[in-house]
Amino acid sequence: MAFTMRAVKVPPNSASLEEARHRVFDFFRQACRAIPSIMEIYNLDDVVTPSQLRSTIAKEIRKNQGVTNPKVIDMLLFKGMEELGNITEHAKQRHHVIGQYVVGQKGLVQDMEKDQGSSDFLKKFYTSNYS
Amino acid sequence: MAAPITAATSPLSPASRVQVMCSMLNPTSASFSRQTASFPSIRLRPVPSRFQALSCSAKQDTIDKVCEIVKNQLAVDEGTAVSGETKFVDLGADSLDTVEIVMGLEEAFQITVDESSAQVIQTVEDAAVLIDKLVAEKDA
Repeated sequence: MAFTMRAVKVPPNSASLEEARHRVFDFFRQACRAIPSIMEIYNLDDVVTPSQLRSTIAKEIRKNQGVTNPKVIDMLLFKGMEELGNITEHAKQRHHVIGQYVVGQKGLVQDMEKDQGSSDFLKKFYTSNYS
Repeated sequence: MAAPITAATSPLSPASRVQVMCSMLNPTSASFSRQTASFPSIRLRPVPSRFQALSCSAKQDTIDKVCEIVKNQLAVDEGTAVSGETKFVDLGADSLDTVEIVMGLEEAFQITVDESSAQVIQTVEDAAVLIDKLVAEKDA
């Protein structure tokens, strides 16, 4: 029921790039304030520190640094909020969180560069048979 | 010196307190156990009067601590001089880095910086002044 209720609340589109940028910072603050409870829920004290998690979140946001379309930013923010909600509501298991945000940078997560120019065929060609 | 501040600020749950100790001291597992063992003795001390004395002269301490956190966050060379007048932008921080620094300071000092205040923070001095004000408000 919580998931259904949350799905209804979609924020209105940003009127300008500045507003979208503002919302990105709000989302980052919200995610950072959730880090202590996330570490408590998933018992992550042994494998990561809050500052490392904060840096990982910042890195994820910085991946989309070049996006300038407010509509795209809104869509990405919606996906980010969904992911944060899934984590805080315990819809993931501990190894999912560890695999994606703790050790993911060391080979578990395929980090596709967001290349705007390549065609889908070339992207899949470079990626080969991964996943 | 950090531990009395932690004990005095708020009655955190054990898990949160452990997290705070972990993030502030960054110990290994072995020293982590030792810190946990020594925590009750810290709590039994007459913290309020000592904390008041500490907060009266916290200005330079706050700036030094802020400089340390900024250095860690931005991975600045140890030789780089970070003083109260240093701008985050001069150290190579973008807007997201600045927000990240503010969140790190929130965690280290156990305060909550509201959005409008966070936007005006551009130098170490700004951050230290705001932190001193917020810590004083919380103790009042």
